[in-house]
Amino acid sequence: MVSVGSLELDAVRKEFADTVALDGVSLDIAEGEFFTLVGPSGCGKTTTLRTIAGLETPTSGSVRFDGVDVSGVPTEERDVGIVFQNYALFPHMSVRENVAYGLNFVEPPDGKSTDERVTELLDLVDLSGMGDREPDQLSGGQQQRVALARALAPAPDVLLLDEPMSALDARLRETLRRQVKRIQAELDVTTVYVTHDQEEALAISDRLAVMHDGRVEQVGTPREVYERPATEFVAAFVGENNLFRGEAVGTRDDGTTTVAVDGTEFRVADGDLAAGDLTFCVRPEDLTVDADTNRFEVTVDTVEFLGETTRYYVDWGEKSIVFRTPDPHDAERLTLGFDPGDARVL
Amino acid sequence: MRLARVAERVGAPALGVVTLGLLGVMFVYPVAIVLVESVQVPGGYSLAPITAILTDEFYFGVFAQALSDPAVLVRSFPDYRLGLFGFTVYQAILSTIAAVLLGLPGAYVLARFEFPGRRTVRSLTALPFVMPSIMVAIGFVATFGRNGVLNTVLRSLGLPTVELLFTLKIIVLAHAFYDAPLIARITAAAWEGVDAEMTETARSLGASPLRAFRDVIVPQLLPAVLTGALLTFIFSFMSFAIVLALGGLSLATVEVWVYDRVNQLDYQTATALAVLEMLFSLALTYAYLRYEARQRATSAARPAERVDLFGAVSKRRLFAWGYAVVALVVFVGPMASMVLASVTGSEGLTLRNYQFLLDRQADAYDFQVKPLTAVVNSLLFGGGTLLLAVPMGVFLAVVSTRNFRGRKLIDTLAMAPFAVSGVVVGLGLLRGFVFGTEAFGYRFTIAGPIAIVAAHAVGAYPFVTRNVAPALAGIDDSLVESARSLGASRVRVMLDVELPLVVPAILAGTAFAFAISIGEFDSTVILASGGTSYTMPVAIERFIGRRLGPATAMGVVLLVVTGVSFVIIDRLGEGSGFGG
Repeated sequence: MVSVGSLELDAVRKEFADTVALDGVSLDIAEGEFFTLVGPSGCGKTTTLRTIAGLETPTSGSVRFDGVDVSGVPTEERDVGIVFQNYALFPHMSVRENVAYGLNFVEPPDGKSTDERVTELLDLVDLSGMGDREPDQLSGGQQQRVALARALAPAPDVLLLDEPMSALDARLRETLRRQVKRIQAELDVTTVYVTHDQEEALAISDRLAVMHDGRVEQVGTPREVYERPATEFVAAFVGENNLFRGEAVGTRDDGTTTVAVDGTEFRVADGDLAAGDLTFCVRPEDLTVDADTNRFEVTVDTVEFLGETTRYYVDWGEKSIVFRTPDPHDAERLTLGFDPGDARVL
Repeated sequence: MRLARVAERVGAPALGVVTLGLLGVMFVYPVAIVLVESVQVPGGYSLAPITAILTDEFYFGVFAQALSDPAVLVRSFPDYRLGLFGFTVYQAILSTIAAVLLGLPGAYVLARFEFPGRRTVRSLTALPFVMPSIMVAIGFVATFGRNGVLNTVLRSLGLPTVELLFTLKIIVLAHAFYDAPLIARITAAAWEGVDAEMTETARSLGASPLRAFRDVIVPQLLPAVLTGALLTFIFSFMSFAIVLALGGLSLATVEVWVYDRVNQLDYQTATALAVLEMLFSLALTYAYLRYEARQRATSAARPAERVDLFGAVSKRRLFAWGYAVVALVVFVGPMASMVLASVTGSEGLTLRNYQFLLDRQADAYDFQVKPLTAVVNSLLFGGGTLLLAVPMGVFLAVVSTRNFRGRKLIDTLAMAPFAVSGVVVGLGLLRGFVFGTEAFGYRFTIAGPIAIVAAHAVGAYPFVTRNVAPALAGIDDSLVESARSLGASRVRVMLDVELPLVVPAILAGTAFAFAISIGEFDSTVILASGGTSYTMPVAIERFIGRRLGPATAMGVVLLVVTGVSFVIIDRLGEGSGFGG
């Protein structure tokens, strides 16, 4: 079997009785890539995953595995492995039987026996020796790893993970996240990961797609998406952000654009005068009390000590603004500012 | 304040003592009487009456011989004479198979299809729990009797008529009618508890839809099917009114034969038989409870999507439609036939049968059944049953949700009446109290009506407990802890917080108890024999052979009372506790 696993979605549209779940989703996922679909609930990320798996049939558009259209190919004939949020372990089978289930339908890879393959997978997910347990004797994290081993046992081309961590507590989630990433890199299996947790998406992915209302808002590496959000939605959804809506009123010699926001003028680096109305965003960590430019006075509302940094919720007129700094400030009124280069025009 | 505290400290244990005392008098003592009498011989005690039955071919057929000569089992295989016990088991097996065959497609339709009224149909599957068995019997006579609806239809089509009354077929069918909804209910609940993701995972691993069904769904349904089948077997094994009314003595089961022995005043045989039957049914019930306790109720995070029942013709829809027709005929048919028969006569539509119920009241001879008396008795006994069964049931529910040593014993005791047939309880009460019992040098006797109420309460309180206990268990512990932290004593918390929250469940249990009492036949028919404390079910049984019209009219009255109770149960309760 030639190792494969590239995936394309082309203008996939999915309508349910009275809603449009996917409104023209196009994605290009490369072989061996760890690709994440992230967005709030109802954005279509799970429907996209299910469409790839063949559990949903697109209303229009196509899904291609290695360039081949798989419309009409049932799930069992697509080379995918799925891990669901609730793991869906078969309660009447032992751990070993669960992991071995897929090997009823394909030969284990590399000429191994079913037993060898199952043992190998249990070792891979650090569950050596747990094969004879029943699923309900396992912790949530262990169940999750059994589900992962089961999905991987037949050596699928594509691994699909539907919010596999969301039922686990935060600390365990981080541990498992690293483990999933390590296993994925080791096996080099194309992986599509669905999560609503943008932090998780940034941490784990090679690339991610931010989805909203059945559409893809932006596709990019975590750094691109964080630093150069393409839309207001992405700016607000990925990480914390402050959005400023104003009007471009002029340009300066240094190439910056002047934007008037509620009567205050700010300079931003990559503005476009012709745009007229214009929105830019500034990350909380890019706002400082000692900046030379773009200064504005705010009233402190709430202070949260986060350990490494302190987060301030402050009021600027009617507007609430958040900023983070390693150095705490006691004053009730502060003057904040930011570098024109840190403002991102959307 | 101080008085209240004393009352509290004394009150709760006192209620416990009263409840356990009542249980002892109304249930344990009568059963003990039966046990003792079964081994009582002139001048002492002996197991001889029991061994006499065990070795009697009439009761155990070829198995009686096999006790002394095991080879007979090989010699005569497979042409066994079954005997009374063997026949009882045989008809229960057939009934169980029929109920499973009739119930499983129902589970499929209920679990996998969407249609208007699905929830109502689902609730209706609990109806058999409160449906008087004698009413089912009269419905079957009205449908399948010589002049029943079926034969009327056949005749009008010029087809030969069928004679089903007093055949094994109709007994099995009536048991299936009774228990198939139960099997459908329990299995559908299990089916709905299987996450869609299980099947999807199996599919993604390479299983075809059929294979995924076999590997993933079927194993998760099997325990439910087995639970339902075991319960059906127990019910069919102990079934009384249906066998008596539809089969008569020629198709007698153990239960019917015990009744017949009582009527013949052969108490020695009756009690010995009853003991053997009780041992068997207790073992089965124990197995059932053990097995049921092992099942975990699962609820699916995402149940599989239902198929719209109405849509383009497909194989599965055709199957569902076909089943719907069968279900209409089998389940609705008998009840509809009963109603129809009650308002028709030779002259067409008529209220004559209802009129008869009133007229007969005025001009009946003393030995004849007076219909209105039956109605009044039923209502009075129903009220009396509530007075006993509801406090007992609630108290046992409270006890069963606490942790303490000996709880298991109380739990078992609370559910024991499920395993002991009404005929046995009736027999024990008759021998123990109605005929009188001697203690402390005095002879105590109680009147038939009180014994009947006691028997009804014994049959009814487990349903109160099974309704209230889950509701109590479902109350968030933090509510109790909050109230206690605010200064309320444990008993106050029970009165102020917990009981008010389970009022709907108590009302549902009350309706259950009332319905059970109104429909109770097995012990009533024994305790009411020869007296005037007969109830509607007993009256129906006496009418059934001779006057089908009035029997159906009274059946309709019973149906209305049962129906109203059921609506209350359905609105307020959490189901019967069986696969709720």
